[in-house]
Amino acid sequence: MNSPLSAQDHEPLTGRGRSYFDQEGARGALIAFVSTLAFIVVVLLVIGRSENWPTVQRSFFDFELMWESRSVIWRGFRTNVWMFMVGQVAIMALALLIAVMRSLKGPAFLPVRFLAIVFIDFFRGIPIILGLLLFGFGIPALRLPGLPNSAVFWGLVVVVLSYSAYTAEVYRSGIDAVPDSQRLSAASLGLTQWQGLRYAVLPQAIRNVIPALLNGFVSLQKDVALLSVLGVREAVREAQIITGRTFNYSPYVFAAALFLAISIPSARFADWYTARDRARRSQGAG
Amino acid sequence: MKLEMREIHKSFGSNHVLKGIDLDVDEHEVVCLIGPSGCGKSTLLRTINLLEKIDQGTIRLEGQLISDGAANPNEIRQRIGIVFQSYNLFPHMTVLKNLTLGPIKANGMDPTAAEAKAKDLLDRFGLADKVHEYPDRLSGGQQQRAAIVRALVGDPEVLLLDEITSALDPELVGEVLSVIRELATRGLTMVLATHEMGFARDVANRVVFMDAGSVVETGPPSQVLGTPVEARTQQFLARVIEGGRL
Ligand SMILES: Nc1ncnc2c1ncn2[C@@H]1O[C@H](COP(=O)(O)OP(=O)(O)OP(=O)(O)O)[C@@H](O)[C@H]1O
Ligand SMILES: [Mg+2]
Repeated sequence: MNSPLSAQDHEPLTGRGRSYFDQEGARGALIAFVSTLAFIVVVLLVIGRSENWPTVQRSFFDFELMWESRSVIWRGFRTNVWMFMVGQVAIMALALLIAVMRSLKGPAFLPVRFLAIVFIDFFRGIPIILGLLLFGFGIPALRLPGLPNSAVFWGLVVVVLSYSAYTAEVYRSGIDAVPDSQRLSAASLGLTQWQGLRYAVLPQAIRNVIPALLNGFVSLQKDVALLSVLGVREAVREAQIITGRTFNYSPYVFAAALFLAISIPSARFADWYTARDRARRSQGAG
Repeated sequence: MKLEMREIHKSFGSNHVLKGIDLDVDEHEVVCLIGPSGCGKSTLLRTINLLEKIDQGTIRLEGQLISDGAANPNEIRQRIGIVFQSYNLFPHMTVLKNLTLGPIKANGMDPTAAEAKAKDLLDRFGLADKVHEYPDRLSGGQQQRAAIVRALVGDPEVLLLDEITSALDPELVGEVLSVIRELATRGLTMVLATHEMGFARDVANRVVFMDAGSVVETGPPSQVLGTPVEARTQQFLARVIEGGRL
């Protein structure tokens, strides 16, 4: 009997597969280029011929207004950039701490694990916008001595806490993906549980989750704009002020373009890194 | 007496895995544990260096009680090394880093001294050119030899070896066994679980046959493997011969 996986059946299949991909490589680029071009032309024709296009163009694509507001929005956007940079660093550190707390084994660490779980459940369960309203307005209003009163500070704290709760779970999945035998191996060398984590498990775990961390970073770049509800003068807030004055939405479009200018390269970088990482792993396994 | 184990009991849930094991190991002695799969060899080895907690009984190292939380497990594991079936090298570190991590961080050895020692041992066991390689660039036999060397850099008093050749292709078994043979000649105290009866006969001072969590028969290899007294030992060996492993 001929099993479906016998060598006879298999050989010609691989052969066909290969030649197909060769053709794909040679002709693929041309096909992709032509079809993309055709698509853009069609879209432009449809939009350009629509009756409402001039109105749309005036209120969304007023390049003169964009030019006038460019420096204000750009200044705001610089605030976004430092917020998500500082935020990302804080998130990666805090989330790692929480993930480690959560993955400590043994009865002695029960309170630590419990604390980590409470933190994660709490901050993952609250909408960021609600947290912002609560902390960002609430805490400065208390005028607590010794604590900063700025909305940026408390807003960033909320975003960092919320993202850390998610990111901690990302780290944890990376830690869980490291085989138990690695901990055992570390323990058998006389390393403490903490040393085993630090030198054997975490380096592998972090490498496992870098693609996920990059994705989180792309997401954070946009979410720091939520601080505009606290009146933080970042790009969206500045655009909103101009729009409120001119009744024209073009500043928003300009701000959107700034966000895209950062998030698209970041996303492509994450994709590239993920693909490279996957290729390296399958090479190592083979 | 290097190691004294008395009345060791261990259960996983309702599975009573070790049922009152007595085992003594002398200084410089090489003891081979044999027995059917699931009889508790690995579990016994792991209780010795406290990777598994025992439910009952006592373990002494050089007369000092080490079970029941009487000693710091991390210190005991520096004195009793273990090597597993599946090498378990750290994949993100070079061979040299793998070897020096334990001695530097756990034993507090000076890094340059640890590196010199590790390189010296790698050299002796034919791995000199692999010092800066990552484990996935090594063959199975080379990885297992590196794992054995890793357990040796910290100068353990006892080395436990759990089926260290079971995951290897047959043609790689020899190179790993010759490492163990050399360690035996140099007088390292070793307890090894193995399915390689020929090797056990060759290298062991004493063979311990276990079945269902108990020690059934123990004695010199020629006796336990050649003229076993117990019916269960005879049956086990008959099956092994059938399988072509003796
Ligand atoms: N961590 C564990 N949790 C639960 N049960 C376990 C665990 N480790 C071992 N066991 C059980 O204990 C028994 C003995 O296992 P052990 O690995 O010690 O046998 P072994 O003699 O080493 O077998 P083999 O020759 O196949 O390696 C088995 O029934 C196994 O299922
Ligand atoms: Mg075993």
